[in-house]
Amino acid sequence: MKPLHNRFRLLTLLLIGLLLLAGLYGVYSITVYGNRWFSSSRNLRYREAKNSVVAGDIIDRNGVVLATTDEDGNRVYQADEESRAAIVHLIGDREGNVANGVESFQASYLLGFETTLAERVLTLIKGEERRGDDVTLTVDSKLCTVIVRAFNTHVRTKNKSGAAVVMNYKTGEVIALVSMPVYDPVNITDEVKDDVQHPFWNRATQSTLPPGSSFKIITTASALENLEGIEDKVFTCTGATLVEGQIISDYGNAQHGKLKLSKAFRVSCNNTFAQIALTLGDTALRRTAEDFGFNDNFLFRDIVVENSVYPTENRTLVEIAWSGDGQSQVAATPMHMCMVAAAIANGGVMMEPRLLYNVTSPSGLVRLRYTSRVYRRAVSEEIAQTIQGYMIDTVARGTATAAQVEGLTIAGKTGSAESSLNGEDVTHAWFTGYIDDDRYPYAVCVFVEEGESGGGAAAPIAQAVFRYIQEYYPFQ
Amino acid sequence: MSRSSRFRRELRGKSDYRLVSVIMLFFFSAFLLIALKGELHWQGFVLAVAVPALIYIATMWLPRFFPADKLLLSIANFLCALGVLVLYSTDLIKGTNYGMQQAIYYGAGIVAMLVCILLVRYIRYWRVFIYVIAFCALGLISLPLVFGTEVYGATNWIIVGGISLQPSELVKLALLLVLSYFMSQRKFWPWLIFAVFCMGVLMLQKDLGTALIYYIVSVMLYYASTGNLWITGVGLLGGAASAVYGYHAFAHVKRRIAVWRNPWMDFENTGYQIVQILMAIASGGLFGVGLGLGTPTIIPVYHTDAIFAVICEQFGIIFGVLVLVMYVILILRGAAIARSARRSFHGLLAMGVTAMLGLQTFVIIGGVLKLIPLTGVTMPFVSYGGTSLVSCMGLIGLLQGVSTVNQDDLTYDYEVSRSRTEESSLPFADNGE
Repeated sequence: MKPLHNRFRLLTLLLIGLLLLAGLYGVYSITVYGNRWFSSSRNLRYREAKNSVVAGDIIDRNGVVLATTDEDGNRVYQADEESRAAIVHLIGDREGNVANGVESFQASYLLGFETTLAERVLTLIKGEERRGDDVTLTVDSKLCTVIVRAFNTHVRTKNKSGAAVVMNYKTGEVIALVSMPVYDPVNITDEVKDDVQHPFWNRATQSTLPPGSSFKIITTASALENLEGIEDKVFTCTGATLVEGQIISDYGNAQHGKLKLSKAFRVSCNNTFAQIALTLGDTALRRTAEDFGFNDNFLFRDIVVENSVYPTENRTLVEIAWSGDGQSQVAATPMHMCMVAAAIANGGVMMEPRLLYNVTSPSGLVRLRYTSRVYRRAVSEEIAQTIQGYMIDTVARGTATAAQVEGLTIAGKTGSAESSLNGEDVTHAWFTGYIDDDRYPYAVCVFVEEGESGGGAAAPIAQAVFRYIQEYYPFQ
Repeated sequence: MSRSSRFRRELRGKSDYRLVSVIMLFFFSAFLLIALKGELHWQGFVLAVAVPALIYIATMWLPRFFPADKLLLSIANFLCALGVLVLYSTDLIKGTNYGMQQAIYYGAGIVAMLVCILLVRYIRYWRVFIYVIAFCALGLISLPLVFGTEVYGATNWIIVGGISLQPSELVKLALLLVLSYFMSQRKFWPWLIFAVFCMGVLMLQKDLGTALIYYIVSVMLYYASTGNLWITGVGLLGGAASAVYGYHAFAHVKRRIAVWRNPWMDFENTGYQIVQILMAIASGGLFGVGLGLGTPTIIPVYHTDAIFAVICEQFGIIFGVLVLVMYVILILRGAAIARSARRSFHGLLAMGVTAMLGLQTFVIIGGVLKLIPLTGVTMPFVSYGGTSLVSCMGLIGLLQGVSTVNQDDLTYDYEVSRSRTEESSLPFADNGE
């Protein structure tokens, strides 16, 4: 009977292993995907819960109440139309038009799905109404309003679509997140619903777009990592590089002549970066891009970001050359490009973006407080410092001078990305940068759809953000 | 030695008693809680008394007549009662009458368990009887081919006098008896013919989930009895080949795989069920929304396939994992019974029952948690369904039957060794062994 018993034991272990696997997988998927499943607009549950539970408040980092529930059980947003519209993509509205707004993504807290049994029994005994938890965000809602105002006042961004993200590069806290155009969550007219600019779309986290020249931060990082002595190499820009019979041209057909990497970065020379991309080859450049989070499945704890793409197969030399300039199917969200600048600012360490400061129960108990978490190391500290120098130089005397602020050292990179929108060739404007100052550890990314020039359209918005920070933020 | 073991047995008896009392109290208060919620529901009061009574009968009263494994009994009965409870709680949300019916099936299940215990304990001459069982089983499983009813794409139901039956569930009992008997007698060909016939019929009925379980249990039994890795490997390869064939041949298999890989892609149609399941589990969170609360009934077939999702929504994922742990303990007890069996037939039978229950649990819970594609098999003891519950309790009966035989053997050994000790004049004579 002995061998029989051994085989029995093996089969038993196998069966138990299968069941434990199922259990572990279940716990894993609930912790990682649970909120995403729950907050799906297809989940009818939390809509029903709204009738029986008083939804909790949403509060910003300065204590401003962004959303609350009134005595009749209606959801109320800020009284001032401009303010409530500016944060609409962060918060969402009553109808759930915005994907993954805090109203839906944190619904399990706001609607009290996470209250413990003891708390529930206590409310029952006291005969009180069931209340959801209050959610405090890391966001400064006033800064969002400032950004919207800047978009609406500057000539080159007025009436255009776009997005802006501001985050603390040391902690990953998202300070502001705006998608243009905004709309009033209280008064959703048919005009808003039929708008060709799709106001419900959150461009900051849902739109993946060619990052254009702002991607040169990553190409530079890859060059510094893989090509020895690249900093001293002299490139020649004739204004047109021929690759497989196709011309790589520069923005405005500029000719930069002989130049080194630092200058090529400053003036954003497409020809140089196309040459670098070809020297690096597809694999090396892709590896660096993936170090920065491209092609990764973003599973951040409290903010849903569309995955960025660096294409993986069947690439021609032309495509590889253009990839060095952030074109040719390379695509990222404004949120991710903000993280790229933040990683450079933070010495190569990319922090996980986060939106939730804490969750407090109706009785004032802190139910949940996230701590900052490193998402990944993107580049070595040494390379990050070199690129920091380039980015500071770019703002001081390169393409991004429009982002300068007196009294602050600003670093940045512009981008003018060619893309096709509804069949037409258009140029999107990008600026991604940060304040090089430990007292103001903030990174900014601005994206303007059809903004033509990064320096002209996007950088001034970033400047408005920097000025606001300089004026209102206490030294940290 | 004997004193300490008797002491341990007494202690164990006490803890069994406590365990059963706690289980009974749990269900008594749970049903009462639902009965008192909102307006009064008389059914809740009936169940609050009836379900603990059934638990008492099955775990405390029946074992008076023969030695039984009480831990195994307690767990199986807990799971059955949990099924009644969850179904009854959804009844109040949707206005169905599953809870009461399931309680009646539970009673029938206890009878089936008793029958199976007696079968294994008292039938000594299987040589002829096994062929009777085999032919009855073959006839029974083929019935739906002649006058079956199609339910969810599979033709595996028959309706007799208003009662619907799922023969493949009942044939599970016969399958295990027949396969382990033939294997213990080293009769390979009858074994193969019976197994292949059953699976062929199931494939014809498009009941692929059950066919898969029959198949894996057969292979496991073959491996357990012979240890022949070579032929087991060939069997597994054949299974893999037919799985690939099935994928290409059956459109609904292909669809299920696609839905499993990304249910959100076709949310409105094919992905609807699994998406609703996932959202239900996510809504429950760690501690659940509470008994009788939530809206689990929007999940299609919440009462059979997706009942684990209902449990997770109402009681939370922690409780869900605990339910899984109960199945693990059940497997461990089953394997222990298999190992202490003296005859290879009994050992194989116990192992087969354990494998059958374990696999079925994995297939359905893995499916609900989206670890594997969802197939329409029932969750043992818990899912709504008379045939399924009766067959699962029958399986427990087979296991208990083997367990009682083991206990009898042990007692016999004990008697023999004691009489031997009494005969010999030397004290501690058995120490020399």
